[in-house]
Amino acid sequence: MLISKMAAEGGGKEMNEIKTQFTTREGVYKLLTHSEYSRPNRVPFNSQGSNPVKVSFVNVNDQSGNGDRICFNVGRELYFYIYKGVRKAADLSKPIDKRIYKGTQPTCHDFNHLTATAESVSLLVGFSAGQVQLIDPIKKETSKLFNEERLIDKSRVTCVKWVPGSETLFLVAHSSGSMYLYNVEHTCGTTAPHYQLLKQGDSYAVHTCKSKSTRNPLLKWTVGEGALNEFAFSPDGKFLACVSQDGFLRVFNFDSVELHGTMKSYFGGLLCVCWSPDGKYIVAGGEDDLVTVWSFLDCRVIARGHGHKSWVSVVAFDHYTTSVEESDPLEFSGSDEDFQDQIHFGRERANSTQSRLSKRNSTDSRPVSVTYRFGSVGQDTQLCLWDLTEDILFPHLPLSRTRTHTNVMNATNNPPAGGSGSGGIGSVIGNNPGTNGSNSGASTPGNSLPTPLPRSNSLPHSAAAAASNSKGGTVDGAIAAGVSKFATLSLHDRKERHHDKDHKRNHSMGHISSKSSDKLNLLAKTKTDPAKTLGTTLCPRMEDIPLLEPLICKKIAHERLTVLIFLEDCIVTACQEGFICTWARPGKVGLLSSQNQANSPSGTVV
Amino acid sequence: MTVRNIASICNMGTNASALEKDIGPEQFPINEHYFGLVNFGNTCYCNSVLQALYFCRPFRENVLAYKAQQKKKENLLTCLADLFHSIATQKKKVGVIPPKKFISRLRKENDLFDNYMQQDAHEFLNYLLNTVADILQEERKQERQNGRLKNGTVAVETEENKAEPTWVHDIFQGTLTNETRCLNCETVSSKDEDFLDLSVDVEQNTSITHCLRDFSNTETLCSEYKYYCETCCSKQEAQKRMRVKRLPMILALHLKRFKYMEQLHRYTKLSYRVVFPLELRLFNTSGDAVNLDRMYDLVAVVVHCGSGPNRGHYITIVKSHGFWLLFDDDIVEKIDAQAIEEFYGLTSDISKNSESGYILFYQSRD
Repeated sequence: MLISKMAAEGGGKEMNEIKTQFTTREGVYKLLTHSEYSRPNRVPFNSQGSNPVKVSFVNVNDQSGNGDRICFNVGRELYFYIYKGVRKAADLSKPIDKRIYKGTQPTCHDFNHLTATAESVSLLVGFSAGQVQLIDPIKKETSKLFNEERLIDKSRVTCVKWVPGSETLFLVAHSSGSMYLYNVEHTCGTTAPHYQLLKQGDSYAVHTCKSKSTRNPLLKWTVGEGALNEFAFSPDGKFLACVSQDGFLRVFNFDSVELHGTMKSYFGGLLCVCWSPDGKYIVAGGEDDLVTVWSFLDCRVIARGHGHKSWVSVVAFDHYTTSVEESDPLEFSGSDEDFQDQIHFGRERANSTQSRLSKRNSTDSRPVSVTYRFGSVGQDTQLCLWDLTEDILFPHLPLSRTRTHTNVMNATNNPPAGGSGSGGIGSVIGNNPGTNGSNSGASTPGNSLPTPLPRSNSLPHSAAAAASNSKGGTVDGAIAAGVSKFATLSLHDRKERHHDKDHKRNHSMGHISSKSSDKLNLLAKTKTDPAKTLGTTLCPRMEDIPLLEPLICKKIAHERLTVLIFLEDCIVTACQEGFICTWARPGKVGLLSSQNQANSPSGTVV
Repeated sequence: MTVRNIASICNMGTNASALEKDIGPEQFPINEHYFGLVNFGNTCYCNSVLQALYFCRPFRENVLAYKAQQKKKENLLTCLADLFHSIATQKKKVGVIPPKKFISRLRKENDLFDNYMQQDAHEFLNYLLNTVADILQEERKQERQNGRLKNGTVAVETEENKAEPTWVHDIFQGTLTNETRCLNCETVSSKDEDFLDLSVDVEQNTSITHCLRDFSNTETLCSEYKYYCETCCSKQEAQKRMRVKRLPMILALHLKRFKYMEQLHRYTKLSYRVVFPLELRLFNTSGDAVNLDRMYDLVAVVVHCGSGPNRGHYITIVKSHGFWLLFDDDIVEKIDAQAIEEFYGLTSDISKNSESGYILFYQSRD
């Protein structure tokens, strides 16, 4: 025991160092110390027992190129600043708006991106005593207060968001386990609302408000047991993912108020949730210290990730690394060399996933190389980045099984080459016919937001796949064959692969129409005792699905992390002490130093 | 503390009824009693553990069943049974009971506790569980001997005695397997070890899940800590890890928050923030574990308040019939599940003084 203690202490010191930069295969991310936002006095906020610091951004399109605005809450204060990002140092002396609340604390906020202009923004703020305020921090007005008398819900507001595409509707979740749909134009009435059941399902109910004149709330959703910790709208705004303290992810069709699918954490409450940019995957994090990846189409868990040492407080997809915006092939060939490096890198790292940047090309219709990037931050003060690669997304062969058996006694990690390499083979075989075929141009409306994203088939990618193929080709093939033979013994696996087929077939159909039969089956399955979910699709056993390892896992703060937002040229994180940090993406650091010409580059990075 | 005690005893009536009102007459569980325990001068280490154990249902039921057996000579277990029995059979639903007989028996039986100093709640828990198990085993031995005298056969006695588990073991005992792999010959030797609770090291800003993973992390034995390999017949470098092979019905987790500081020649408290979920599964199980993915629910937490092992205060939070209660000696309050957050510890390393979870009791769902 003594030995282990000493070892832990030695290692602990090293890990207690707070990182100001980290490297992924795309390059070095650097903390811009001059771009730190906080309370004007820059004093760490004594955070014990207060609400998490949260950050909201809005772009007011003021044509100056400085349209970004940031809002954050610290304790009982709320700040609104111009956000200069990687371009200029933050000026904390002049907040555009600052509010200090008494008796109740701001817990969360959201800007309406549709209505934002240089002269006016609509910011919703939720409070610890249940109220919701609509304010305009540019005009410095308080437009409206909802649930003022706390007749609708007395518990803490956990999440507030504008309904996508709406200038007037917003949704508010509370720690009571309910959420409410409001319209800014309606009043909340002077009496407690009377409700009428609209729809009821397994562990949820939706009520309408019964009253002569239209009043708030329009709808009341009761979801699961315990606090409703967070919700997120799908990119197309049609679905709503909710995570609760009872450990369940529940995905609803927002308009029809029907349950689409559910998932249960390995144990403990789920605290955060997000959607992939194309709406195909949902990632949730929680009190099991894990991130869980759930397929929207198949309604099943496809992977879990272990990297955090404590509860996961925020998960977010990196839209910019998940999908490099449509670009012409010339640009691809220019980055050919990078790709070689990346492959090399991916090999050297012991990460379970093979690294490949996904790129999108509108002329292709089948995914050849798909990588989603997402990040997570937690109460362990660590930032983790994860790659979701096609060997996880499209397990043609149930290879993942072999990889998850991490043999602790073995000093090295299990060979990633076996898993990811042969995953590559699988996908190449599986997809080649499609890629060579004609463009099904209609299926990829490049401009609309919720496009099926991973349509990449640029030459470098095929080369990458081929390269990895040849490196470990024969051995991988042998392993793959062995495993697949073994796997056919189990009914469970066959079913999974069947699902996978469905999934493929539905690729071009858009995800809404594709859920039909699957959904019915799954709904029937969810009617199980929550305590006995282990081993079902709701909560597979650890050894039955792939376990991801983080690409990077860095301690970046003294305090619990509460914010993670991926922006185009930076990553924004914030901790409970009230410091909002900007991490420049690779190659984006120079912007700040070149504009502050007097400053040497050393001023930007420590 | 005494002043506060007097004050609270004066308020006893109002406090108790406040609790009843707080829970509500319809919600108040039938056949359940929430009784505070009077502090006899720094006996909160004892009160807190007794309350936690009382709300570990299998333990309570066995103690009450013991009470129902015929009258025995007074020992620590009979005193415990009397105390539990008197709580369980109170007419009132809430109130205060002096655990006088139990405390005086405890002081009589063990010099360690025969004073008015603050003691370590974990040490007391250990002592109590082991003593109860010993008493049960001793009684069983007596019974057997009495039986044997009649039969006139006295045979293989020692073996049986050792192996026979009592209900204390049925409830709290799990098995660890300690695997050592010699790095020279690769031979793996494993040894099983039983435990009644697990003592885990704590780290700042982690979860109990992580602390348990760490507990089972592979460590390398090298230089002066080399391992004597029987196959190599010499000291060799080796890798060692300890995993849970058999999971107990009630998993008691002791957070090692008291650390000896060489320079100060005394113990200091690690007030680290270590979060613990209401539901728990173990990751650090060995492959051949029985019931390795059983789900646990948090049922009780002994909380240490203060800055060191021999000062400060102990309180307990327990889950009973779906709601949470805080037992602070003679005071009992209903608390919000969200208030448990206050007992995770502190994120700042400056302050040593905290109210932080010290012993966690997780009960298996099946």
